[in-house]
Amino acid sequence: MGLEYHKRFMIHIKEFSYDPSEHEAETASSSYLMSLIAIIVGLPLPIVNLIATIVFYFSNRKSTYFVRWHCTQALISQLSMLLINSIGFWWTISIIFTDETITNKYISYIISVILFNLAELVATIYTAIQTRKGIHVEWWFYGSLTNIICKSKS
Amino acid sequence: MRKTIIQGIITTLLFFGTWLSLTQVDWMKILKIQQATDKTEEKLGDLFWQAFKKTEQENQSEFAINSIDSIVTHICTSNKIDRKKIKIHILNKEEINAFALPNGHLIINSALILNSENQEELTGVICHEIAHIQLNHVMKTLVKEIGLSVLISMTTGNGGSEIIKETAKMLSSSAFDRNLEKEADIKAVDYLTKAKVNPLPFSNFLYRLSDNEDETTKYLTWISTHPDSKERAEYIIDYRKDKIMDYVPILSNETWKRLKSEIKE
Repeated sequence: MGLEYHKRFMIHIKEFSYDPSEHEAETASSSYLMSLIAIIVGLPLPIVNLIATIVFYFSNRKSTYFVRWHCTQALISQLSMLLINSIGFWWTISIIFTDETITNKYISYIISVILFNLAELVATIYTAIQTRKGIHVEWWFYGSLTNIICKSKS
Repeated sequence: MRKTIIQGIITTLLFFGTWLSLTQVDWMKILKIQQATDKTEEKLGDLFWQAFKKTEQENQSEFAINSIDSIVTHICTSNKIDRKKIKIHILNKEEINAFALPNGHLIINSALILNSENQEELTGVICHEIAHIQLNHVMKTLVKEIGLSVLISMTTGNGGSEIIKETAKMLSSSAFDRNLEKEADIKAVDYLTKAKVNPLPFSNFLYRLSDNEDETTKYLTWISTHPDSKERAEYIIDYRKDKIMDYVPILSNETWKRLKSEIKE
């Protein structure tokens, strides 16, 4: 049901300006897989998945439009996740090592972070599958942001 | 461009909205965090107090206990503090000291009462310790100094009596973090003002004992573990400046005198 919801409201399948080739679809899909794998490795340290996505972004900067577009979308979504995850991470650290205590605010924040991370995870998996098939997927907010940042060279 | 900005704002609002609405749920209660913490604190308080009870002599004078109780009750009612939370014990010891243990155990040494020139001085120190209890400084410091896992293992009986003794000793003989001390001092002045007790003698007490260099100095635990007494006395005077008002003594003069003589015996 969650996925259906995302499909209808948060994620839009749109026509891309051209039909991506098989190779392009594979690389674009990998940019999402990259952040997925990094989430698993980097769960305790939120910076790891950002670094992985950045590396992938820079190595594909000169690639085709379709690949660049999806690398950018993966990167900027990671950036905002980094922000909320880092706050959660350092909040936890300060509870363990300083005289901060667990409060209702803290628990609510962590639950919100988990919810947003889950939503991002679902969106990432879905998009990785779709882009692999060469289908162009634009996320709510991040899609239009990517359209501003990432322009076709032609 | 405009659409992107609006979507961005909505996304941000969505996050904060989720957070805000989740704070409306009492997670501490649902996850039983507070309950678990309270239970640990309760057990620790009893353990430490038992450790003191075994090694030290408790003053059983009913008059003395009742007099101190009058002071504490007065402070609690004027500051809306749960009186039941604070458990007073008087120990016959020649160290000028008072300290707080977990779960609201407040321990006052007889020498502190004897060396207070007036009841306001004693009330000041009591308020300072109540502030430590109310601001949860005891548990915070324990968790920081020896760690939650050791504390929990103590309550389950795996701690060993030596560790309990050592920790109890630490609580009685070493001070809290400088910031926590200042916080407790300021809070104490608030308590005193609300209870209509002049905070000036409290600051005088700090001054006097920090200046005192005769042989009693070695017994001045409360002062030596609370560094920079002069500085503290100064900010207490500074903080109370705009709070001058009519002060009312808690105990009658006779009661105060009799308390001292009872303690002497």
